[in-house]
Amino acid sequence: MARPRLGVVKFASCDGCQLTLLDLEDQLLGIAEQVEIVEFAEATSARSAGPYELLLVEGSVSTPEQAEAIVELRRQAAKLVTIGACATTGGIQALRVFADHDAWRASIYPHPEWIESLATATPIADHVPVDAELRGCPIDPGQLLEFLTATLLGRRPRLPDEAVCLACKRAGSVCVVVAHGEPCLGPVTRTGCGAICPAFGRGCYACFGPRETANVPGLRRSLVVLGNAPADVDERFAGFTALAPPFARAAAAGLAAAAATGGDDARR
Amino acid sequence: MISATEAPAHGPGFLARKDLGALFALVRDDGRRLIGPTVRDGAVMLDELDGPDALPEGIRESQTPGRYRLEAGRPGRLFDHTVGPSSWKRWTFPPTVPVGTTRRDGAVVAFEPATPDAAPLAFLGVRACELAALAVQDRVLLGGPVADPDYAARRRSALVIAIQCTTAASTCFCTSMGTGPEVSDGADVVLTELDDGFVVTAGSRRGRELLERLPVRLATAEERDAAAGGVAAARAAVAANAGVAAPGLPSRLMAALDSPRWADVAERCLTCANCTLVCPTCFCTSVTQRSDLAGAETLSERTWDSCFTGSFAAVAGGNFRSRPQDRYRQWLTHKFATWVDQFGTFGCIGCGRCVTWCPAGIDVREELAAIAPPPRAVVTGMHLPAVTPAPDEAWLRPARVVATHRETANVTTLTLAWEGQVPGAGQFVMAGPPGFSAAPISVSRARRGAIEMTVRAAGPATAALTALGHGATVGVRGPLGRGWPLERMLDRNVIVVAGGIGLAPLRSLIEAIAAERERFRDVTVYLGARTPRDRLFVGELGAWSAAGIAVTETVDRAGADWLGRVGVVTHLFDHAERLPEGAVAAVCGPERMMEATVEVLRARGIPDERIFVTLERHMECGVGLCGHCQLGRFFVCRDGPVFSIAELGDAFGREGL
Repeated sequence: MARPRLGVVKFASCDGCQLTLLDLEDQLLGIAEQVEIVEFAEATSARSAGPYELLLVEGSVSTPEQAEAIVELRRQAAKLVTIGACATTGGIQALRVFADHDAWRASIYPHPEWIESLATATPIADHVPVDAELRGCPIDPGQLLEFLTATLLGRRPRLPDEAVCLACKRAGSVCVVVAHGEPCLGPVTRTGCGAICPAFGRGCYACFGPRETANVPGLRRSLVVLGNAPADVDERFAGFTALAPPFARAAAAGLAAAAATGGDDARR
Repeated sequence: MISATEAPAHGPGFLARKDLGALFALVRDDGRRLIGPTVRDGAVMLDELDGPDALPEGIRESQTPGRYRLEAGRPGRLFDHTVGPSSWKRWTFPPTVPVGTTRRDGAVVAFEPATPDAAPLAFLGVRACELAALAVQDRVLLGGPVADPDYAARRRSALVIAIQCTTAASTCFCTSMGTGPEVSDGADVVLTELDDGFVVTAGSRRGRELLERLPVRLATAEERDAAAGGVAAARAAVAANAGVAAPGLPSRLMAALDSPRWADVAERCLTCANCTLVCPTCFCTSVTQRSDLAGAETLSERTWDSCFTGSFAAVAGGNFRSRPQDRYRQWLTHKFATWVDQFGTFGCIGCGRCVTWCPAGIDVREELAAIAPPPRAVVTGMHLPAVTPAPDEAWLRPARVVATHRETANVTTLTLAWEGQVPGAGQFVMAGPPGFSAAPISVSRARRGAIEMTVRAAGPATAALTALGHGATVGVRGPLGRGWPLERMLDRNVIVVAGGIGLAPLRSLIEAIAAERERFRDVTVYLGARTPRDRLFVGELGAWSAAGIAVTETVDRAGADWLGRVGVVTHLFDHAERLPEGAVAAVCGPERMMEATVEVLRARGIPDERIFVTLERHMECGVGLCGHCQLGRFFVCRDGPVFSIAELGDAFGREGL
């Protein structure tokens, strides 16, 4: 039986999610036995324009060229799966939608007229239908492996949409909200990372994006009652998944408050 | 199990604090891992301890809703705290345990149950409320028709050294629940801490033998008084806290299922599941699979789950508790009402963990007072009778597919070679292809040596089942659940109403009736299908008619080639002048269809006691241990899936239950 053809492509992103696949060192040979990797610029000079049985897409759409390219890739892919915070929510670069794009571009590049970028950085699903999402910045190697294994076997991959809190409690970590008053976004964030940040005493900053039934207003109220400044709580949403609909309002409020007080650096 | 506290021959003893190390050494000599309280990351956690130095010396906690901080306690005291976020269930009922492995080598499939990890444990510093929590989990996990083998092994091996509380947090309400602060039974050894050591008593033979090996002298009268004074101080402190009006609470709570407070609390509730995971009695789990890339080996693991997650009550095509208010109501009514129906105790032992560790600071005491306000309260104790462990249920066993029959585009009947107990009409099995989770599948035909399952491809697991060919191996458990009440139908008229795939569990009933047709009076079968192409068992309808069973069919949408009736199945009754006298009805189909059918049957004079339905719910274990399929006071898998409408009462057709 012919092995399914796997492609890995990227848009606006840091390549970290692709590296997660490369970092599966112990399993990489096994994966290569089960699938034929025909396109993966990080790993091989062999190239293919498709078709693909499975296409992993990293990054968000932030240039006009990318907006065209993803449409063609979708045509070539039987199953298109987005990987990482950029591809699934827009990523950190999506913060531009809360700012003046032209002013930013002019302040960074000596010749802004040479830069062709969109005023937005949007998730792949805003452009084409997506069959599955692997969340996170970067994605979790265990989830990637589970996704590939389940897909090869034909069963539903286990990608739970519950809160980070469940993994945190199963791991036996102490809740940083209750024991330390840390602003932690775990209760509204999708699990999958293994609750790494709380295990090291840090609050979750939602790099996996919103879980199902994310009660953002409820969490904002609670974190403020526990002693956090409202602007600090809101600013926490203005990170890797700020553009995700349940978070966008809080993120915008947090950025506006930060701008009003002279920006993040000035306040610290 | 563990007997009530026995007075040692010479009264309570005294163990000096400097000799506590001897206790650690003895326990270790016995080959046990010692688990006890220690400070980690700003909280008192239960971890494996090397020696007394690891205990939280001079530490006390400040606990209020949503807030926990360590503070200085009485100098030198090792147990001046109360309870932290971890509980003993982490060791008796760990967050993740293997349940079995499926190995596939070509066509050979083997299902191997996991062997419980039986390394014996010793628990040091168990509080009265926590002893009650262990007893509650004993009733849930050992006291039902099927016992959890992993829990049984860990629990039975554990040596329990209790500590009397001499302080209380503001979140403690053990006196409301009748579980503390005084330790009564369930411990092998009971310690009460004084400034320079511990007053000790044995609670079991095992405990007495341990004390005999320790440097324990008789306690003086002053020491005994000081110990009693410490516990009395704890009782006074708890009694001053807000509490729960436990007497009569279950009925008050169940009468308040439509309280507006559920929506109010849902605004605050983050459905983050922390309350259920810190709760020492919550027992809900899910089973997940991990396979190697080639699919040759699949490990199934049982993991703590929670009724607050979105997928907990989900089935193919829907979710019984999609709204946060449904999930909070499920949790609170289970802890304080339906748990009593199921297990004879409250599911709450008053430790206050869910209050402290709720990031939103929701206090169950406050919610209960608002939702089910107390009458004039008289607090009584919790009664915990001894538990008789039931025989262990085997894990998956292989069954071979010996025939397949395509019923419709997405429904297939699989015939499995079957050994062991023949399923009764309406019973189900848990079944799945190797590497997949097992799904509840009703048995559509059963005879000695073979059973049939009629499966609709609704998700990947059921799609994989319907795709299996002759000779394939399926993992199965069962027969499970309570089927149709054939004995209630003898010498009576019988009405069978099926919608779509709902005919599958009714086919076994119809065939059971046909096999002994003379023992029943008029039998009428009403069948509804979406389209003519969705009709099931078409080739068998003639045989049913020939056996003297009247069959009437309808379809929701017809094509040009359909000459029969069109419309929803309840319209079929419109054509019947009146339903037969004293009939018993058996109904299965989508829940909305069953609700509509029950309404019509009631209107035609059939009482709720004689209308039976079979319910679909999310099931993982099939034996009442995982919690997913709970419906009010029932576990659908164990108590059903067939219920009379009278049994279900208000629970039938209620949104979000």
